[in-house]
Amino acid sequence: MINAITPSRELRDTCAIVGTATSKLGKVPGVSSLDLLMDAIRNALDDAGLKASDIDGVLCRGPDESYSHHQLLAERLGINARFSTTLTNGGASQIMSVALAVMAIRFGLANTIVCGFGRDTWSRTHASEEARVRNETRPESMLAREFGPEYGYFGATAAHAFGATRHMHLYGTTRDDFGEIAVAFREHALRNPDASMKKPLSIEDYHAGRLIVAPFGIYDCSLRSDAAGAVIVTSAARAKDLKKPPVMIKGFGFQNNTRGWFADDNMVVTAAKQAGEAAYAMAGLGPKDVDTAQIYDCFTYMVLTQLEDYGFCKKGEGGAFVSSGALRLGGALPCNTSGGQLSEAHCEGMLQIVEGVRQMRHLYPENRQVKNADIALISGHGGNQVCHSTLILGRA
Amino acid sequence: MSDLVPKPKPRPAPESLPYWQAAREHRLALPKCEDCQKFWFPPSRTCPHCLSANFSFQDVSGKGKIFSFVTFHRVYRPAFANDVPYVVALIELDEGPRLLSNIMGVTHDQVKCEMRVEVVFDDYDEDISIPKFKLV
Repeated sequence: MINAITPSRELRDTCAIVGTATSKLGKVPGVSSLDLLMDAIRNALDDAGLKASDIDGVLCRGPDESYSHHQLLAERLGINARFSTTLTNGGASQIMSVALAVMAIRFGLANTIVCGFGRDTWSRTHASEEARVRNETRPESMLAREFGPEYGYFGATAAHAFGATRHMHLYGTTRDDFGEIAVAFREHALRNPDASMKKPLSIEDYHAGRLIVAPFGIYDCSLRSDAAGAVIVTSAARAKDLKKPPVMIKGFGFQNNTRGWFADDNMVVTAAKQAGEAAYAMAGLGPKDVDTAQIYDCFTYMVLTQLEDYGFCKKGEGGAFVSSGALRLGGALPCNTSGGQLSEAHCEGMLQIVEGVRQMRHLYPENRQVKNADIALISGHGGNQVCHSTLILGRA
Repeated sequence: MSDLVPKPKPRPAPESLPYWQAAREHRLALPKCEDCQKFWFPPSRTCPHCLSANFSFQDVSGKGKIFSFVTFHRVYRPAFANDVPYVVALIELDEGPRLLSNIMGVTHDQVKCEMRVEVVFDDYDEDISIPKFKLV
């Protein structure tokens, strides 16, 4: 058996996020994923009061079709990078970038690292009739060879919906519970002028939405977005002299349930459990210390089950927890306070990090700021549903 | 209309050929480790329980239960346009492994987790028969 691990506390508070920004979000036709990311990085440098020549590390998840993405990015930044690579853990990559940056800086491999992700998913799949057709008529040779397509099984929506069905069966969770998550995050998006979704969503609207792969309807599913986000990480010592209040990196943890989403109980007790335990141990904190959570919301159910796995309520009690109104600004655990991937934009977890940083700075207007927020927990999930990462940030 | 569009035909990987050859004969056969005696799925050439390469394909009972399921309402491929809403279920075989399949002969609102099922075979063409399941 593998021994239990205790993540080192040596890295806690050694580094800070000193700049963060996004590109324009939502529908940004005519701009490539790389240029969206460049927009986010330029804005993040400006936010930090730094120049590209101050950056000596680049960590990013490239779009799937882009080879050695970090090299292309650094070339456009006009820099040689000491520490630079591309990650492939799907939506768990963005937090892993930040963690790698901390390790590299702490051990003297780089001084100041930019971490980011950009995508042009809406443009590639929806911007034109040609894009729609190309997206919907992918040749059979691009499908899995066997054990899925012959049964009409396609896509991430169905994979996650299996977990939702199982959770409903075991614990009596309902679509009303999922609906509250969609409604709460939409309410947050309405306070965020950059968010894609501008119309209010009621629980009646949620139930009237067309079913996609039941138990998921359209409002259980995250957006297809053009979006990019970036953060700049440097040592706590250097962070003190910069333009914005530094946000401390207190803990991180990882778990990859690579036995498979369909194996064991992984679709109901997700990798967030062990990733969260590791991050809490490193930070010396627990769920009761967390003031706001920015959770990877590819689908409503994934928020509910991760909140359980992170210990904000017991396994099986996520339905009651979210339906109490806990996730709303002003609630017990304000969650996805910029609207999340369900209502702001879907950038594979990058915007969750951006929002966590912004909440820790206390620079938001009152209607968007989580009151007295000192600790933010952020999650990343992806890569065939089994890769998970957790980041804990704190006010300096 | 969409009957003219064929559904995706399985393209067996080298390691799963014996699975599809057995299915053609309307037998459900999975790799079984000769050392630790456990079955696994999907087929591979190494036992994921003990890493033994000493294995053979053995018939299973074809009986199991529905671990979880989803109902497709959206048409992802035109070949399934006449089938929606249809169920894709994760079947847990009595021998342990889980596999995706369809539940035949019921409407989607009759399907529940833990229902007992057994295998039936849907002949795709003269080369391929697809294991599916029915309620028992």
